[in-house]
Amino acid sequence: MKIRNYWNLRDFGANLWENASRPKRVAIALISIGFVALLPFMGASFLATPIASYDAVLVYPVGMFVLMSLGLNIVVGKSGMLDLGYVAFFAIGAYTMAILGTTTKLNTWEVMPIGIALSMIAGVLLGIPTLRLRGDYLAIVTLGFGEIVRLVLLNSSWSKGPNGIANVPMPPNIGPLKFELENQKVFFWVVMAMILLTIWMIRRLTVRRPGRAWEAIRQDEDAAELMGVHTLKYKIWSFTLGAAVGGAAGVLYASKNLYIAPEMFTLNVSILILACVVFGGIGNIWGVVIGATILGYLPDRIRFISDARLLVFGLVLVIVMNFRPDGLLPRKKREKAIVKREANA
Amino acid sequence: MFEVLIDQFWSLTIAGVALGFIYVLVSLGYTMVYGVLRMINFANSEIFMWGTFGTIITSRDIFGYTQTSAPATGPKLALVLISQLLMSMAVAGLTAVFVEYVAYRRLRAKGTNRLATLISAIGISIVLSELMRLLTDSRPVGSPRVLEKIILGEVWGANLRLDTIVTIFAAAGIYFLLERFVKLSRMGKAIRAVSMNEDAAKLMGVNLNRVITTTFLVGGLATGAAAFFYITVFEYTKFNIGFTMGMAAFTAAVLGGIGNIRGAFYGGLFLGLLEVYASAVLGTQWKAVTVFIVLVLVLLFKPNGLFGEAVQTTRA
Amino acid sequence: MASTRKTLLKLDNVTMKFGGVTALNGVNLEVKEGEILALIGPNGAGKTTVFNVITGVYKQTSGIVDFDGISLGNQKRYQVTALGVARTFQNIRLWGDMTALENVITATDVHKKSGLVGALFGFPRARREETENRERAMEILRFIGIDEYSDRLAKNLPYGVQRRLEIARALGTGPKLVLLDEPAAGFNPAEKVELAATIKRVRDAGYTVLLIEHDMSLIMGISDRVVVLDFGTKIADDIPSVVQKDPRVIEAYLGVPADAS
Repeated sequence: MKIRNYWNLRDFGANLWENASRPKRVAIALISIGFVALLPFMGASFLATPIASYDAVLVYPVGMFVLMSLGLNIVVGKSGMLDLGYVAFFAIGAYTMAILGTTTKLNTWEVMPIGIALSMIAGVLLGIPTLRLRGDYLAIVTLGFGEIVRLVLLNSSWSKGPNGIANVPMPPNIGPLKFELENQKVFFWVVMAMILLTIWMIRRLTVRRPGRAWEAIRQDEDAAELMGVHTLKYKIWSFTLGAAVGGAAGVLYASKNLYIAPEMFTLNVSILILACVVFGGIGNIWGVVIGATILGYLPDRIRFISDARLLVFGLVLVIVMNFRPDGLLPRKKREKAIVKREANA
Repeated sequence: MFEVLIDQFWSLTIAGVALGFIYVLVSLGYTMVYGVLRMINFANSEIFMWGTFGTIITSRDIFGYTQTSAPATGPKLALVLISQLLMSMAVAGLTAVFVEYVAYRRLRAKGTNRLATLISAIGISIVLSELMRLLTDSRPVGSPRVLEKIILGEVWGANLRLDTIVTIFAAAGIYFLLERFVKLSRMGKAIRAVSMNEDAAKLMGVNLNRVITTTFLVGGLATGAAAFFYITVFEYTKFNIGFTMGMAAFTAAVLGGIGNIRGAFYGGLFLGLLEVYASAVLGTQWKAVTVFIVLVLVLLFKPNGLFGEAVQTTRA
Repeated sequence: MASTRKTLLKLDNVTMKFGGVTALNGVNLEVKEGEILALIGPNGAGKTTVFNVITGVYKQTSGIVDFDGISLGNQKRYQVTALGVARTFQNIRLWGDMTALENVITATDVHKKSGLVGALFGFPRARREETENRERAMEILRFIGIDEYSDRLAKNLPYGVQRRLEIARALGTGPKLVLLDEPAAGFNPAEKVELAATIKRVRDAGYTVLLIEHDMSLIMGISDRVVVLDFGTKIADDIPSVVQKDPRVIEAYLGVPADAS
């Protein structure tokens, strides 16, 4: 028991944070953000990826996976609903960007709110009929939904069918920061900013009424409803916020990749993101961030894995659920710190 | 738009009934497991996919048929077909038992929440389909023709093809055998007891683990039989073939009232016909979309299914 | 005196059938404001079914449930709670991974207006309501006498505290009527005495209490009125001392050991 405490990253982090004064916390946050922001410059180190360019890997898959995992975590981790069609929202965001970017003069930042809004609307439309039902139905309906969105994109003329949409414009430069294909540092910083924004949002909501409602729903939905929680409303909110993050990621992805096609939005993406969430620790923001980083990065670093990526991720799901259902960094349990404090006093 | 449907109504109907019986058998894999576990057997689609490979391996590698060899006749035909059927059932049945053992059992013993079990089941179905993808190099695999597709006759302008007729009668036969098994056998009664009231069944001395394993096995056998018929009619498979089949069969199960064996029968036939008609009207690329819309509509307006038992909306 | 009080809850000829089984058969029941009404009966008499019909878990087959002038028939469960009916569960159903305080705060949310957007951007009303809820929840924990456990996860609390936390959580929703489903189950005699005092305090604080219980001495000690159900039918409805002597009640319980639970 004692030895494990040294290796308990979660408690270590929680202690560090809880014992820090406000200026110290600001310092910790700034240093961490600064360190992450400098990651694209470490391409020459052992972190270098053999095939893909290193800073591109940091944007996709790593950054995008982290962002989407955080979004999916709102649905799966916070309120305990299994969404297997998360890729659909990613696709809706990406196609909004591609279609509006190629047919209108709107730039990425102007399309962003539209893409997010459309994803959220899709989330509400799908959520209303399905969120009343029990969890496994939601899982299978969302699974179908993800595939349907792909089939519609594949078979419709407005989406240019299997050919996909090319020449999606890059985002306009932000002051001196230029978006370039060869050098994706700026993209990385944008993804990072979106990740920070998402984390801010989740933390805000978690400590207040919505977070409590989700937590109650996750643990005992009937009891929640009988204690006056409008469960359907909060479930739809959770689903929709997850969709919003997925849509935002999609808009940026289309604008980074410059070309999108239906084959990029298969069920596999949903599963990969789910594996990231589960691997890191369902419900724990930092666990999800670390899990998504590892699972996003490793297949590009170790070539063997990249062929069998999905197989490995499937195994991750089974093994983690059976042997360590809380993932790498389990959900925070505030009580521990409190009990420890009591014991010390 | 509707010309095709009207012109070929009867041949579409025959094809729809054949497809429907395949759905009936696959949805048994969903409905029976749901009955005892109150949980969706997520990997059933991949169990089906493994069954299709079992069928093809039997004719191709055991009996040495190739794409160019002549179809079998007489006793040899019966031998090959029955071996294929048994092999497919065996592969699917064993896969189902494996799935239960790896993905469900441990979590059930721990009494963890449903979410963990669901994710574990999804994990195992990804593993099954990816394993097959790597083994087959993502390529589709054709089945050598064993049963010649002779036209037996004509009814109302529709051709009666041998493979369709065999599928309809044999699948119906297997369905009724299974239904008898669940109704009359000792094990079948135990299965029904567990699906009605798990705690009471346990108190009455039912061995829960054995019942659950048997349920997976029986569901797998039905799904395996479906895989054989599928190959006989469509003569082709691929690592990702389970997805569409799984969605459709699950929809059929829900349509009929999941957990209810008779419901799977009606739901499967209904969906098979609907799918064939809808494809004739809208085009085959919208087949999966039609199925999905049916599923959502049923869940929205008739979550108990058209024919049967309740889907529990709460755990109360 | 009790009869002049206002009727808070009225069940009028309520029948509840499950398939062929009749769980409640034309039950009439009135709960007056400010009283402790005990609902007793042998196992399977339909007591918990009454709670489930009132709170909207089941929809009655026929009959009317009227709460404070509003028919509960078409209300969703969370709306019933918002109208002022709260309950506890026979088998404890707290949110185990939340602290005791959070359990109660979640219940206090029901009457608050601020929603998700307010929480996200920290609107003044949302912040104010957060503080109000926290204070109110702490107050309730103190009232029930379990405030020392406020920061402990519900699942790690001692059994007796969990039972009392269920009451605290129900009070958190700011109810007029509190439904207690076997709050003393598994308690030893000393704990039962303490619980009886707590229930009385709850009543004296202005809540009306409808109580399902098996322990006769507890019931006789605190209830103003006792209603007896047997096989889904009401067989007695009077003050404790009269019900105790009612031959039909004695018959219904005959053969059932006194300590049956």
